[in-house]
Amino acid sequence: MAKKTYDLLFKLLLIGDSGVGKTCILFRFSDDQFTSTFISTIGIDFKIKTVELRGKKIKLQIWDTAGQERFHTITTSYYRGSMGIMLVYDITNEKSFENIVKWLRNIDEHANEDVEKMILGNKCDMPDKRIVSQDRGEAIAREHGIRFMETSAKANVNIERAFCELAEAILDKTSGQNTTENAERVIVDHRGQDKQPAYKGCRCAVE
Amino acid sequence: MSLYKARVKAFEDLLGNDEISLEKLRKLCFNGSMIMWVLSLISCLQFSFAGIPDTNGFRSLCWKLLLGYLTPKRAEWSVLLKTKRDLYRQLINEMVIPPCSNNDNQCSDHPLSDGPESAWSTFFKDNEFLLQIDKDVRRLCPDISFFQQATEFPNLDIANSKGVRRLHTRVMPSILSSANVERKGLGLTKISLLTKRAPENYEAMEEGQEAHWEVVQRILFLYAKLNPGQGYVQGMNEIIGPIYYIFASDPIVDYREFAEADCFFCFTALMSEIRDFFIKTLDESEGGIKQKMTKLSILLKEKDLEVWNRLRDQELYPQYYSFRWLTLMLSQEFPLPDVCRIWDSVFADENRFKFLVDVCCAMIILLREQILENDFASNMKLLQNFPEIDINVLLTKAAAL
Repeated sequence: MAKKTYDLLFKLLLIGDSGVGKTCILFRFSDDQFTSTFISTIGIDFKIKTVELRGKKIKLQIWDTAGQERFHTITTSYYRGSMGIMLVYDITNEKSFENIVKWLRNIDEHANEDVEKMILGNKCDMPDKRIVSQDRGEAIAREHGIRFMETSAKANVNIERAFCELAEAILDKTSGQNTTENAERVIVDHRGQDKQPAYKGCRCAVE
Repeated sequence: MSLYKARVKAFEDLLGNDEISLEKLRKLCFNGSMIMWVLSLISCLQFSFAGIPDTNGFRSLCWKLLLGYLTPKRAEWSVLLKTKRDLYRQLINEMVIPPCSNNDNQCSDHPLSDGPESAWSTFFKDNEFLLQIDKDVRRLCPDISFFQQATEFPNLDIANSKGVRRLHTRVMPSILSSANVERKGLGLTKISLLTKRAPENYEAMEEGQEAHWEVVQRILFLYAKLNPGQGYVQGMNEIIGPIYYIFASDPIVDYREFAEADCFFCFTALMSEIRDFFIKTLDESEGGIKQKMTKLSILLKEKDLEVWNRLRDQELYPQYYSFRWLTLMLSQEFPLPDVCRIWDSVFADENRFKFLVDVCCAMIILLREQILENDFASNMKLLQNFPEIDINVLLTKAAAL
């Protein structure tokens, strides 16, 4: 038996319409690579990554789901055990943004009440093709009191940061020190445009 | 005579008959070994799981027979193929080529008409699932370049339409929003023009040419239109991929030329057997995917209780890995040649999907040492990314279960 190499285990789930880049986000985070040639996810996929937060080794067990309606009966069974859910849309695809509401309803129906949520507007490396403005993303996040970030799996913008902030929010909750004030719940990030160095809030180590 | 030559000869002999015995064909394709009636001299050859030889278009022909597209009587083929191919052509002309794109100016229907009779209203509804197909065919078998290459036999009406009749043109980002206004600071406005969207490698072809992925897109689109209750479901692209690949690379030119039509009918035949996997409301039903996963679990429990216990203790449920295995008939788990080899046996199996479950079970048992050693996460990774394996070892194991 392998000995326990982590202090905490967090289960995360990626959901959102088909083709918004869920698998690419996860691949960027777990393997620090990008490829545009992913085959479509059927059912569910799975990756592990260990991060270090406030001196604790946290093992992230991340489930990547198929986006299409057909797979919902299979994928919704994973909501229940998840401690954090990332809801992804594609900033170049209006429909995927409109469906955020539908996905949020799914979370309400199937996930634990206190699950930590985060909305990601992916593909922010494609300003020419942008259809959903950052303001609209921020607005919907504020309306539901959820964290929000624009990301790019391709250009590696905010990917690690998103996972670590979600993990941190779960950590706050599990250790009972809920220091996050409501006013700060919506975290608006403009680094995507400014090309600042990657987020250094947590140390990530590939398992 | 070498084993391989003998195998080829066995196929040649059997397929050369005026009336092909399906029973014999199934046995031959199932394991590819020399069966007694072929070479009566050899009574019991080593059980060699070689499948259909990769030569003479055998696989393409055998699959057509095993899927019931071609009848056993050779004499019937030419009429049958002509009828089917004509029918396909007609279906494409009626259902796939967009309304009013034929250069007649007497078209009374108008895109803004929202009457139930308007072909345009259907047209816009179709575009919703076409968009999904478009995303998926552009990521079909990315490890081989085949689908990005031009077909020798494009549909000329479509390929020479200046893009108008190409399906993916219909779902290009809206033409109305082709200028994107971006404000930066006060008064400074930048207008950028939309550039083409397709991923580099799955670009549309030049006028007069069509890529294989465009052909597959058309087949899937037609299938979804003809099966509105089911529509298009992700994963169908992975089922059609190997069939189209085998048909479109047939060494016999006549078969290659009509790969599209033949593939459509064979895909439809195969889907009629596995479509329950793709319908959400049938998940719980007999023949639905959940029952198949349960069958696999029961079989594993019976064949290797220790491994079954291990997975159960780790709460590693069959749906974590076998949903994809079964729905896609393993097409995402192995390299294409191995997938084709597995499908030889699966198509040849008379209770067809029993053998598929056997193969899945054998896959787990072959990893037993590692599964018993690993923790949950490592086992998940192992089962979701199946290691390279000698496909013959796997099939032999499955057949011996």
